[in-house]
Amino acid sequence: METKDPKKHRKKNSGPKAEKKKKRHLQALQLGDEEDARKRNPKAFAVQSAVRMARSFHRTQDLKTKKHHIPVVDRTPVEPPPIVVVVMGPPKVGKSTLIQCLIRNFTRQKLTEIRGPVTIVSGKKRRLTIIECGCDINMMIDLAKVADLALMLIDASFGFEMETFEFLNICQVHGFPKIMGVLTHLDSFKYNKQLKKTKKRLKHRFWTEVYPGAKLFYLSGMVHGEYQNQEIHNLGRFITVMKFRPLTWQTSHPYILADRMEDLTNPEDIRTNIKCDRKVSLYGYLRGGHLKNKSQIHIPGVGDFVVSDVSFLPDPCALPEQQKKRCLNEKEKLVYAPFSGVGGVLYDKDAVYVDLGGSHGFQESEEVRPTHELVQSLISTHSTIDAKMASSRVTLFSDSKPLGSEDIDNQGLWMPKEEKQVDLKTGRVRRKAIFGDEEDESGDSDDEDNKEMSEGDRLENSSSDDETEEGEDAEMTGKQYMSGKGIKRQKLEMEEDIEVDLPAFADSDDDLERSSVEEATEEDDESIEEEDSTAEEERDILESKAVREGGKPGLLQTNDLSDSLNLEKSLTMKKATLTTSDSGHCTAEEAFASEDESEENSSLSTEEEDSENEEVIRKKFPKPSQVVSSQKLVSESLIDETSDIEDLLREEEDYKEENNYSTETSGALKWKEDLSRKAAEAFLRQQQTTPNLRKLIYGTVTEDNEEEDGDTKEELGGLFRVSQSASECKHKADSLDCSRFHVEVPHDWDLEEVMNSIRDCFVTGKWEEDKDAAKILAEDEELYGDFEDLETGDVHKGKSGPDTQVEDVEEEVKEIDPNAEESAKKKHLDKKRKLKEMFDAEYDEGENTYFDDLKGEMQKQAQLNRAEFEDQDDEARVQYEGFRPGMYVRIEIENVPCEFVLNFDPHYPVILGGLGNSEGNVGYVQMRLKKHRWYKKILKSRDPVIFSVGWRRFQTIPLYYIEDHNGRQRLLKYTPQHMHCGATFWGPITPQGTGFLAIQSVSGIMADFRIAATGVVLDLDKSIKIVKKLKLTGFPYKIFKNTSFIKGMFNSALEVAKFEGAVIRTVSGIRGQIKKALRAPEGAFRATFEDKLLMSDIVFMRTWYPVSVPAFYNPVTSLLKPAGEKDTWSGMRTTGQLRLSHGIKLKASKDSLYKPVVRQKKHFNSLHIPKALQKALPFKSKPKTQAKAGKIPKDRLRPAVIREPHERKILALLDALSTVHSEKMKKAKEQRHLHNKEHFKVKQKEEEEKLKRQKDLRKKLYRIQGQKERRNQKSSLKGPGEQLK
Amino acid sequence: MATQAHSLSYAGCNFLRQRLVLSTLSGRPVKIRKIRARDDNPGLRDFEASFIRLLDKITNGSRIEINQTGTTLYYQPGLLYGGSVEHDCSILRSIGYYLESLLCLAPFMKHPLRIVLRGVTNDQVDPSVDVLKATALPLLKQFGIDGESFELKIVRRGMLPGGGGEVLFSCPVRKVLKPIQLTDPGKIRRIRGMAYSVRVSPQMANRIVDSARSILNKFIPDIYIYTDHMKGVNAGRSPGFGLWLVAETTNGTFLSAELVSNHQGQGAAVLPEDLGRNCAKLLLEEIHRGGCVDSTNQSLALLLMTLGQQDVSKVLLGPLSPYTIEFLRHLKSFFQIMFKIETKPCGEELKGGDKVLMTCVGIGFSNLSKTLK
Repeated sequence: METKDPKKHRKKNSGPKAEKKKKRHLQALQLGDEEDARKRNPKAFAVQSAVRMARSFHRTQDLKTKKHHIPVVDRTPVEPPPIVVVVMGPPKVGKSTLIQCLIRNFTRQKLTEIRGPVTIVSGKKRRLTIIECGCDINMMIDLAKVADLALMLIDASFGFEMETFEFLNICQVHGFPKIMGVLTHLDSFKYNKQLKKTKKRLKHRFWTEVYPGAKLFYLSGMVHGEYQNQEIHNLGRFITVMKFRPLTWQTSHPYILADRMEDLTNPEDIRTNIKCDRKVSLYGYLRGGHLKNKSQIHIPGVGDFVVSDVSFLPDPCALPEQQKKRCLNEKEKLVYAPFSGVGGVLYDKDAVYVDLGGSHGFQESEEVRPTHELVQSLISTHSTIDAKMASSRVTLFSDSKPLGSEDIDNQGLWMPKEEKQVDLKTGRVRRKAIFGDEEDESGDSDDEDNKEMSEGDRLENSSSDDETEEGEDAEMTGKQYMSGKGIKRQKLEMEEDIEVDLPAFADSDDDLERSSVEEATEEDDESIEEEDSTAEEERDILESKAVREGGKPGLLQTNDLSDSLNLEKSLTMKKATLTTSDSGHCTAEEAFASEDESEENSSLSTEEEDSENEEVIRKKFPKPSQVVSSQKLVSESLIDETSDIEDLLREEEDYKEENNYSTETSGALKWKEDLSRKAAEAFLRQQQTTPNLRKLIYGTVTEDNEEEDGDTKEELGGLFRVSQSASECKHKADSLDCSRFHVEVPHDWDLEEVMNSIRDCFVTGKWEEDKDAAKILAEDEELYGDFEDLETGDVHKGKSGPDTQVEDVEEEVKEIDPNAEESAKKKHLDKKRKLKEMFDAEYDEGENTYFDDLKGEMQKQAQLNRAEFEDQDDEARVQYEGFRPGMYVRIEIENVPCEFVLNFDPHYPVILGGLGNSEGNVGYVQMRLKKHRWYKKILKSRDPVIFSVGWRRFQTIPLYYIEDHNGRQRLLKYTPQHMHCGATFWGPITPQGTGFLAIQSVSGIMADFRIAATGVVLDLDKSIKIVKKLKLTGFPYKIFKNTSFIKGMFNSALEVAKFEGAVIRTVSGIRGQIKKALRAPEGAFRATFEDKLLMSDIVFMRTWYPVSVPAFYNPVTSLLKPAGEKDTWSGMRTTGQLRLSHGIKLKASKDSLYKPVVRQKKHFNSLHIPKALQKALPFKSKPKTQAKAGKIPKDRLRPAVIREPHERKILALLDALSTVHSEKMKKAKEQRHLHNKEHFKVKQKEEEEKLKRQKDLRKKLYRIQGQKERRNQKSSLKGPGEQLK
Repeated sequence: MATQAHSLSYAGCNFLRQRLVLSTLSGRPVKIRKIRARDDNPGLRDFEASFIRLLDKITNGSRIEINQTGTTLYYQPGLLYGGSVEHDCSILRSIGYYLESLLCLAPFMKHPLRIVLRGVTNDQVDPSVDVLKATALPLLKQFGIDGESFELKIVRRGMLPGGGGEVLFSCPVRKVLKPIQLTDPGKIRRIRGMAYSVRVSPQMANRIVDSARSILNKFIPDIYIYTDHMKGVNAGRSPGFGLWLVAETTNGTFLSAELVSNHQGQGAAVLPEDLGRNCAKLLLEEIHRGGCVDSTNQSLALLLMTLGQQDVSKVLLGPLSPYTIEFLRHLKSFFQIMFKIETKPCGEELKGGDKVLMTCVGIGFSNLSKTLK
């Protein structure tokens, strides 16, 4: 056997292992510890050339700046609308299958027939609206405008099809949404290599179209008629995590992809006239910008409409409420597709439709839809609203007394309230307890405080997850909590009787705790609700809701919310309370403290009673409030337990409540009690002031609607209709139009108090707390108070601030004050933070670029946009900012053509695109246009073309033009082949910068690429200035030297007068000018030229004639066509098409006809040179055509000589001899020549030698001469004395 | 066919400017009927006709139809064109009447507007050119309308009844406006002003200055009131004198007041001392009203807020003038926009009367006239 030499092992030179080895090696050499080459070898990195350094710096800066996009304000709503995923592809490529698979992947439901958009919840924060797009170009155009993501399905076994490229180009024009390719039919490849090759080829082609690196997804094959689960899952993941760039058109216009349509027309009208205009309501998620009521919209394929009514509805496919979990549970995986008949509950303005889905569908749908609860509860109510109203009660705050309907009247309780006071010395906020009659002044501030607190609550609810989780098991956490903070708390309680001024932030602590409890109870609430849905429970919930609705109108929304929460909480807490203890105290204590502490607490409550009398300024403790709340909980729970003896129990409960007050309310608690009333009062006051101003300006909402009609308000134009009489209004309507606001009752500015009323408006007046220079200075001093001058060694001691003084005092009072300690700590932290901020500000100052500033500004604006209307309820919010994107809205539209309803096909998308101001108007639109390089023909001016601009698709007649260097817009007959040109049409005004595309026909399927041209809108105007060239021709009829009389160019002297001074030209290029009209032939004129004309010359003048654009605008109404024929819309035909269809041939002018070219033989005349010239010419140039020798007369002809043979011999010999001689002579001459040459060479050599010799001699001579001279010079330099020597 | 935006209909000649300006900006046609229908002299007045003519000059493609008596006006707006324009204003109203509307329209032209207005510069009815220069221009700057060519120059001063004033106004073009947040007016740090006199003794101006200072000095020492005495052809055709004052705050807010003498043949002569004192008091009154925008420019600020991007703008105003209130109603009918109106009661601070905080989300207006290059 032959032993083959095995391959030698090769050392690895790269890869992680090799790196490691290298490192180890270096370490062994004591080199590796310095990983930074810059540190190891600083010389190599030193600046070699300043210029290169500058260049490289410049380059990096350039690159950095290139990366920047112009920052835009982020206007994405807090709860964004579902993302529109358009699944596009040629027929039979697997679109429907993919959609089905995706829906099944996200919702575990299988939709057999999909019509129209399907909305699903795909993740915690994302919903998708999936819609299929066929290859009808109308649909492709419409969907490209609303798509956020386009899934382009490509049949890999076939390759790319025209539709794919068309859709890509449409997308490009309309803003380019995200695009992802999906390759299907990959199982049809037999060989792996072929598959790989195809994938690669398709991928690279796709990249050239979209962008290098665009995602192309592979769906390898089908299993049981569906794609593989894992691949679909991956695709779904890709979609759910995808990020989107905002597109200009989409973000600046509101739009809706309707997923439901209803005909609201009066049936009687339809019966009498089946073709009457319809009233239609359309439903869908609002996307893009804010939609305002009564604004204009465009429905592509139908036309322009004015929104007659908009209302928002509860979200039919809502996102899950809490976001704690990692994934969705089954009941949150919703699907909504009314066109396909999926989606359970349908909301209307005045009705709710429940799709029960057959006899077995009921339980399932209940599981799926949380909104069913409401419906269920509505069905299962027994008692009337009035009864519930009477029995219902409202809690404004978690620890306040629940209010029954009978409680509202007798509210005049006399209890201490809290008033915020600012301690001048310390700057702390103290809360003074005052009594009811003083409360009016302090109401406001308290109200604000209350709001703040509730907000804080909310904040904590949302943010502190760990806390809420902690609170899930009330008892457990209570103990834990105690172990953490117990000691401190105990001490506080012990010291309660002592007058202690505690810092204000303690009460936030309190809030925090309470919120945690609330959270816990909420949690419980939910869980319980889920577990046992007995009728009683549901009724309770209902009650709470009824209370909310029937409650005082003056309640704040937030209070409302907390009320309902409290009620629900109490309901659900009852079980626990009943099982754990017999009295309310115990449960509360258990939640927060151990048994012994509860005893302490009860004693505390009595102590508190005393303290109340003393009117002590005291801290609000968490404990008592908890106690009260628990008390209330119990009482509530008791009531709720049995509904038939409600009244009786309520009395009992009232009694209990009173007891509570008498025994347990401290100052703090009473403050709490009053808050509710104060809040209500404050709100009422607010209601009286602000809405009055609003009402004064805008009137009530109903009146608004009347005003909007415009035509209806005949008399006054909506002026002061609310408050003023007609006569007054009349007077007002014609009064002086002046913007100045005259002072009706001037103040007396000589009075001191009047003057004082504006004192603070001046810099000389008093400043606010945070801006007062003295205060800021003091703060600074506090910050930099203590310092040591290092040079002199002096130690400067800052003034010990008032805070520290107080601290000292406190320290005297008691040894350890934990809160004081805390405050000190906090102060220290504050100081540190401030220092750090200052340092940061200083440090970053150099880094802050213009770009950063701009970005920061935008971010700030975005935050403000979000925050401004956040706290208002949707009804009010909608009025101010319009319907915001993300809402599910219902839009009513009137005067819709009946075909829209009759021929409705849910497969076709219905898009409601909002129009901006004056985008509904028409005018001339100028744009930059380029014929698409794949379109085979060029476009002709005045041929109708279908444009897709903005939301619209319409047919119009464009004129093409090109701009000359002097700004003249010259009409073109055809578009250039490979160049941009201008185009103008008469049509809807669309903002500048909007992209557009043109197609020649939307009907049927054309063989080639359908997109004829693309471009961008440049300008909008009400007039155009496109001109075409017009040449006027005339003929000279009399010619003087340079002046000629021209006729035939004009018809009258008047016309000539108009063109006096105009430039004219002959065909041969002689330029001239029109001078003056002539009398004789009408329209003739005198003109001067730069040269004399010929009678055969044609004179012409170039003029420019303005052309008009035909006012033709014809929207493509493809949606009105009958189902199945929606892709057959054909508008105005071109002249060519008309001729073709009617068989009319174009009559060509005779001159334009082609004839066979017959070339005549060219005949040239001979050149004649005059005799005189011939004489003068040199002989060389003289014509050599000698006259032919004339015939020699016979007598002159010499006779031929015939030699004798002898003579002939002699002649031959002589010839031979002469030849020999001449040959000899020739040789001799050559010889001589050679000899001469040689001789010449020798001579030359000799000559050279001679010259050389002479040169040498001369050299020698010169040298000697030079030496002599030098010597002489030297001696002369040395002076005469030297010379003498 | 795109439906032409349905037209709005009004009655009466009041607020004619607002309606026409908003119509031009929103592109919605407007019909105004019963213009002084019951009056002895019915129909449009000269100054209104002049205003309509001015609108026609600065727009392209506007359609204006007026019936025979002039009691009905139909206005279908075209696109704002701009460019170099000259206009002779009617002397029944001062140039301020025309300029107020031009300030609203000028930023949205196709070509930057450069207009020469001739007429009365100062009268007792309208805000004078000086005050607009001192208050409205800084306000526009807050919205990002700024540049070298942004100026308002008083070439000649013309008083009633002769007129003869000349004003040059030029304004650059903007595609979009910036949102503003003017919620804190700051504190007044200085007071400036100008006492002007034409065709009267130059001493008048000095007398005005002294009396005005006597009032204002109690509040702030930084007061400077210029005197401006125009002569010859620059002084217009009629005699008169007046004073305007403007208070500037630390945050760049300008509050103004002005007073003009009675013109020739109108009532009793006014003493310059009285005029100075009254004007100073008017300024105090304006300061008492307060806000970040003075009372004459409220509507301008609100309009520019409306025409902003889809962002929240806020402005703190003094009490709303009747003109502004009507303007808000018009804004609602033309742009479907409602302002959130919150009254801010003055607390214990001595800062004058109650303020109103106006908040709105811009409609995302963009200048449709401007050419894209």
